[in-house]
Amino acid sequence: MSQVFHDIEKKIINSLKENSIQSPETLEKSTQLSPDQVRRGIEWLKLKDLAIVDESKSSVISLGKNGLDSFEKGLPERRLLNLVKNGPRKLSDLQKELGFVFGPAMGLCRKNNWIETSSDEIILKTIPSVLPGEKTLQQIGSGKLSKDKLDTNDLSEILKRPDFIIEDVLKNKKISLTTSAKSLDISNTSGAIDVEAEVPEIFVARTHPLKDTIDEIREIFVTLGFSEILGNMTQSSFWNFDALFTPQDHPARELQDTFFLDGISAKKIATPEQINKVSNSHKKNWRYQWDINEARKMVLRTHTTCVTIKHLAENKPDEARIFSLGRVFRNEKVSYKHLVEFNQIEGIVVGKDANLRNLMGIQREFYKRIGITKIKFWPTFFPYTEPSLQTMVYNEKLGKWIELFGMGIFRPEVTKPLGITKPVLAWGGGIERIAMLKYGLDDVREFYNNNLGWLRSNTKCQ
Amino acid sequence: MPVIELSFSRLQKLIGKVSKKQISDSLPFLGLDIESEDKDLVRIEYSPNRPDYSTDYGVALGLQGLLGIKTGSVKLTIKKSKNYSISVKPTVSKIRPFVTGIIAKNGKIDDKTIKQLMTMQEDLHFGIGRKRKKSSIGIHDLDKISFPLIYTTTTKNHKFIPLNSEKELSISEIIADTETGKDYGHLLGQSSQVPIILDTNQKTVSFPPIINAAVTTVTTKTKNLFVEVTGINKDDAEDMLSVVATILQSAGFSLEHIQISGAKNSSPKLKEKTMIVDPSLINQTLGLNLNTSKIISSLKKSRLNAISKGKNIVCTIPAYRFDIFGPMDLVEEVALGYGIQNFEPTMSPSQTIGHTNPISLQLKSLNQIIIGLGFLEALNSSLSSKRVLYDMTNRDSKKIISVLDSKSQEHTILRDSILPGLVENLSRNIHESYPQKMFETGSVFNLHDPISEKINLAVISAHKDANFTEIKSVLQTALKIGFGIQIQTKTTVNSTFQDGHCANIIFNGNIIGIIGEIDSKIIENYKIRVPVVGFEISLSNSILKSL
Repeated sequence: MSQVFHDIEKKIINSLKENSIQSPETLEKSTQLSPDQVRRGIEWLKLKDLAIVDESKSSVISLGKNGLDSFEKGLPERRLLNLVKNGPRKLSDLQKELGFVFGPAMGLCRKNNWIETSSDEIILKTIPSVLPGEKTLQQIGSGKLSKDKLDTNDLSEILKRPDFIIEDVLKNKKISLTTSAKSLDISNTSGAIDVEAEVPEIFVARTHPLKDTIDEIREIFVTLGFSEILGNMTQSSFWNFDALFTPQDHPARELQDTFFLDGISAKKIATPEQINKVSNSHKKNWRYQWDINEARKMVLRTHTTCVTIKHLAENKPDEARIFSLGRVFRNEKVSYKHLVEFNQIEGIVVGKDANLRNLMGIQREFYKRIGITKIKFWPTFFPYTEPSLQTMVYNEKLGKWIELFGMGIFRPEVTKPLGITKPVLAWGGGIERIAMLKYGLDDVREFYNNNLGWLRSNTKCQ
Repeated sequence: MPVIELSFSRLQKLIGKVSKKQISDSLPFLGLDIESEDKDLVRIEYSPNRPDYSTDYGVALGLQGLLGIKTGSVKLTIKKSKNYSISVKPTVSKIRPFVTGIIAKNGKIDDKTIKQLMTMQEDLHFGIGRKRKKSSIGIHDLDKISFPLIYTTTTKNHKFIPLNSEKELSISEIIADTETGKDYGHLLGQSSQVPIILDTNQKTVSFPPIINAAVTTVTTKTKNLFVEVTGINKDDAEDMLSVVATILQSAGFSLEHIQISGAKNSSPKLKEKTMIVDPSLINQTLGLNLNTSKIISSLKKSRLNAISKGKNIVCTIPAYRFDIFGPMDLVEEVALGYGIQNFEPTMSPSQTIGHTNPISLQLKSLNQIIIGLGFLEALNSSLSSKRVLYDMTNRDSKKIISVLDSKSQEHTILRDSILPGLVENLSRNIHESYPQKMFETGSVFNLHDPISEKINLAVISAHKDANFTEIKSVLQTALKIGFGIQIQTKTTVNSTFQDGHCANIIFNGNIIGIIGEIDSKIIENYKIRVPVVGFEISLSNSILKSL
């Protein structure tokens, strides 16, 4: 089968057939391709064993600031020798005339025994016609010279001196064709293209992976007969806490756990009857002075339960399946396992026959639909449900049990003051935890980093 | 939630015949989460509504019940005695009006017991004591105290040697210089008088709720204890005392009564309460069909007493179980005694047809359109920072909504706009290939009676040829295909956008958003090297339809 070539490859091969060894730069000129196209073309041909890339390095030498100075005025030692060749001179005069090169010049002349010093005078002993390094200096001059054209020994005399010599290492690529490539017939006339060639990467536009999980969970709830309700993220403490039987001095209501909005209180929080009955339930059961101003304080909801309880208090359904889904907030230090803001799903079943085993059954069904079959239930505590349970699910990847949703039946102290007469099953939990298991993430912050590398490459269908 | 460390070998001694595995298997079914296990030690997390689980004695009582080793309620045996009394002076009533207490004799106290009692005390202080505000405990060596005691007030010049100190300190010094003084001194308010318990020789026993006297320190040599609880509410103080009394009795102490009188105080009763529960409530709530004897045995496994009376069950609840408010709490006790692992989940058919909220549906459709136009969905927190929302994008920060005491500097202010977050996202991706096109839909917050929450859409495009025309085309198409809406753009000036490259988005004569090229200074601040264009519109008022 005859090989098929990309246009870029064809141009490079043709050019190399005419001129057998070329650098990428000359190829750019001869083929009229861009540097990037030439680079890609060479890579493709190399992978197909059609091109040889010979990489070599070469050094180019030029003079630095001090080198050029010496080229013009002579090496420091030459200048010193010239000053003393007509008779001894005073040390201090020479210092003045030579300036900062005096020191190095003195050192070299003395080391080579060209001069001697007596008290404060310097006397010439001998003066060589050509000093080491002078030949190299003249050869380079103000231009550039390949290092291999120089006498290495003579160069070494001045190579180490500061700012004398500049050495540039150049990488040279020489491209040539392999023997098999030379005999290739690339005049393909079938119109075929190279279907085996690599193509550039392009990036997909897509929903956020966490949104995919949220949508999936929403759909499961809808198919289980639940209807979605929405509510505000900013809530009065009344609905977030008081209506849920959480006393006003409860630790969860402190600044260190809950986000209170600075200086913002709600004027109207609930109906007078609701306020009256809820506060009475607190006074009677928790034995403290209930304060309406505390209930007015606005918070960022710590759970979506404030939305569901408000809905139940307003509608008082005898039979209902509802869910709410949205952001909730906790005043926590952000870490690989904690966010200040995350998504929560919460489901509610109202019905005269609603019971704990039903609640467990719905959990089991929900988990089954997100692919979790190994689950168990443990008792736990929430201020607003009784009995209360938590689900533990077994994660195969981690090889351990993980706590997921909490659940329970709303306490009579919650439902009665708000006129809700039928049992209410409630459960919920964080969505990020489920999404982390799904995407195999061990740092929850990744969901909100908007790191394009991750968003563009993450597998959508999992 | 509080965490305590228990030793399996100590638990085994307390419970009776039981294996280590039985213990660790059963703990979760008491509602105790195992945090970690290491050889003989196990760390468990308990719920603050069960302060009796703050010691291994309390946990042992629970496990005995659950495992059927010892069931029924723990009855406190308190010997009547006239040897011990506390009289309360009326001056305390404005500061910390109530005191209660009990004597516990002939116990053996080793280091481990002291450690258990200390954690119990700390957890009680923190939890039901509300950081000692509601009530606080002092546990003393009885033999260092001469009864009768008085609970009264004193001045801040009063001196004694407090716990963990070598020398006498005045009350003022204790409040100013000791650790507990600094932590809890504020509970005493501005009054010049402070509460104090003195013995018959005027020796200081305790300065509640701050610190005990050093002389009454409990050591391994201590045999007899005096426990006092002070507080602002009599019932709360007695609740706390009931936990301590139950634990001390379980630890082998014999309890004796203290007579308390004066200024509305009285001796503690620590009485059991009775509650009637209808078996049908239990069976209906749990979805079970248990007969009366099974219910009674389940309650007993939860360390309560119960007998049947006619159709009903009469339950006796010891004083330390003040977490039981009403019959529904007893339903849970039955569930726990019966064993949560014995419940078979059932799925009852749905009586309702589910539906997605219309707002969610519309947002999902809009997402599909924007994605179809080549944009990637981003998600940012609603809680952002002044830097991202205002400083970096030159926006006016006069009407910010901030949260109090955030532990994270990056999360202090509720966003009133989505676009600044997206620009910041670009700055974190300058090493990724372009074009970079992103969008986000989400809530934005503004001050309005007290706060209005609206849903906005923001779209951003960054690449070397990004320009106004491109982003206006995206806006126009998204709204036309999404909602059949035609918009206009009218030139405006905005500090986030380049002058002459910015417009208001107008729909039905109202401004619903802004569009343009992001100001080059902002792009430079973020070290982005390509032009950036974007828009943000409010969807809530005129575009999304709620049904």
